[in-house]
Amino acid sequence: MSQPAIIFNNVTKAYKLYRNDRARFLSLFSRKVRYKENKVINGISFTINEGEGVAFFGRNGAGKSTILKMITEVSWPTSGEITVNGRVSALLELTAGFNPEFTGRENIYLKCNIMGMSDEEVKKVEQEMIDFANLGDYIDQPVRTYSSGMKARLGFAININIEPEILIVDEALSVGDKAFRIKCRRKIREIRRRGDVTFLFVTHAANFAKEFCERGIVLEKGKIKFDGPIEEAIAMYEKMV
Amino acid sequence: MKTLIEIIKEHITYRKQIGKLALANLVKTYRGSALGWAWAFVRPVVTIFVFWFAFSFGLRAGGDVDGFPFFLWLIAGFIPWFYMSEMISGGAGCIRSNKFMVTKMKFPISIIPTFVSLSKFSVHLILMVVMIGIFIVFGYFPDVYYLQLPIYMLMMLMFFTVWGLFAGMLSAISKDFLNLVKSVRQAIFWLSGIIYNVQNIDIPWIRAILSYNPVTIVATGYRHCFIDKTWFFEDLGSIRNFFIVYIIMIIGAIWAYKRLYKDIPDVM
Repeated sequence: MSQPAIIFNNVTKAYKLYRNDRARFLSLFSRKVRYKENKVINGISFTINEGEGVAFFGRNGAGKSTILKMITEVSWPTSGEITVNGRVSALLELTAGFNPEFTGRENIYLKCNIMGMSDEEVKKVEQEMIDFANLGDYIDQPVRTYSSGMKARLGFAININIEPEILIVDEALSVGDKAFRIKCRRKIREIRRRGDVTFLFVTHAANFAKEFCERGIVLEKGKIKFDGPIEEAIAMYEKMV
Repeated sequence: MKTLIEIIKEHITYRKQIGKLALANLVKTYRGSALGWAWAFVRPVVTIFVFWFAFSFGLRAGGDVDGFPFFLWLIAGFIPWFYMSEMISGGAGCIRSNKFMVTKMKFPISIIPTFVSLSKFSVHLILMVVMIGIFIVFGYFPDVYYLQLPIYMLMMLMFFTVWGLFAGMLSAISKDFLNLVKSVRQAIFWLSGIIYNVQNIDIPWIRAILSYNPVTIVATGYRHCFIDKTWFFEDLGSIRNFFIVYIIMIIGAIWAYKRLYKDIPDVM
């Protein structure tokens, strides 16, 4: 039996809505400031095992992105417990976190360093990333001269080649031109075949989900509506829409 | 206390990244312009020149101090001020300007002020070398009092790094706080005795308040080394005052951190 990679135990996430930013600041000093609570995630529990491929479905505002953010640890649950085992790489916003004055190559080092890789480790995957991004001479030009497509390609190349143990993809497969999209799909397929990487996927495109995932979780208003085999999840989701 | 241990643990885990990020932060500031690194010096040079000119020629106040030309007395306190001034506003803005590290990737917020502070401190180190060079050109060679410089440099670095955490957290959640800090910076400059000797103030209670002002203590400390040749143990009172204020600052920073680190990614 493989180990659990992600455990959500009765997780709730509520955003505090203040009347304005001043009220938010005052709330630091006084508990009397009133606010409304917006529960985006409401008591969710699930376990995802190592190597599993899970697709998340749900309408806008159902809580998909919030769940992924909490797994990436850029957002904290209001209550409940989250356990994450393994290095997470999230293809959430690919172009985020580049330093525009640095060249593509320097950005590869910087980003990998921040994620905890040493220079030697980066050196090993550097060429693979550069080949994958396919930027030609631009790799040694400042990122501010890149087009948005080039930035996205570089971001994708970095995130997918750092050998993550948990890979999160949030509809990022729609970057670049057709040739690059095919390359991305091939890469993900390859990772999925190896079978040791946990794969989380948020999408509205059922055919992609079917290809990469065997399990689907359907969310509605912060609650799990269905958790099971991918075909049934897709059927359920399509009925909802 | 638990929060403090957590922050220290994060620093140990991310110790390698801190150096890399400090360097990247430094390079980022000065790259992309033709003069590049020269800009690190242009601002200090212009500022010091303006003040020296105004005092020496305009106000005719720039007489020798303790046998040193006024100009040297001025830069001995001005050079640390550049770091402090950068940290007062830059420290407050540090989390905002590194937003992507908070909202887009897993990265401990408490590290951000540390690497921002270190990158500004490395500029300070270069300016210090330049300043010692200027003293030598004027014929004043380094002496045994320079040995205590690291103490004051470390005090300054420690204080303003913690300030960066405190003010950075509050500014991340409230733009008003950031604006407040930015507008108070000028006031701190004029009130802290960077360009005059606070000992010359006649009113005792003002002197008493300023003896707790870390900016004053650091600037005076630098002048102990360069100008009036006083050992730090001859002025233990200000060291004690410094640490009182420092501990209050640490408590404030931990309070702000504990209160806000979970909210900040959602608000930004």
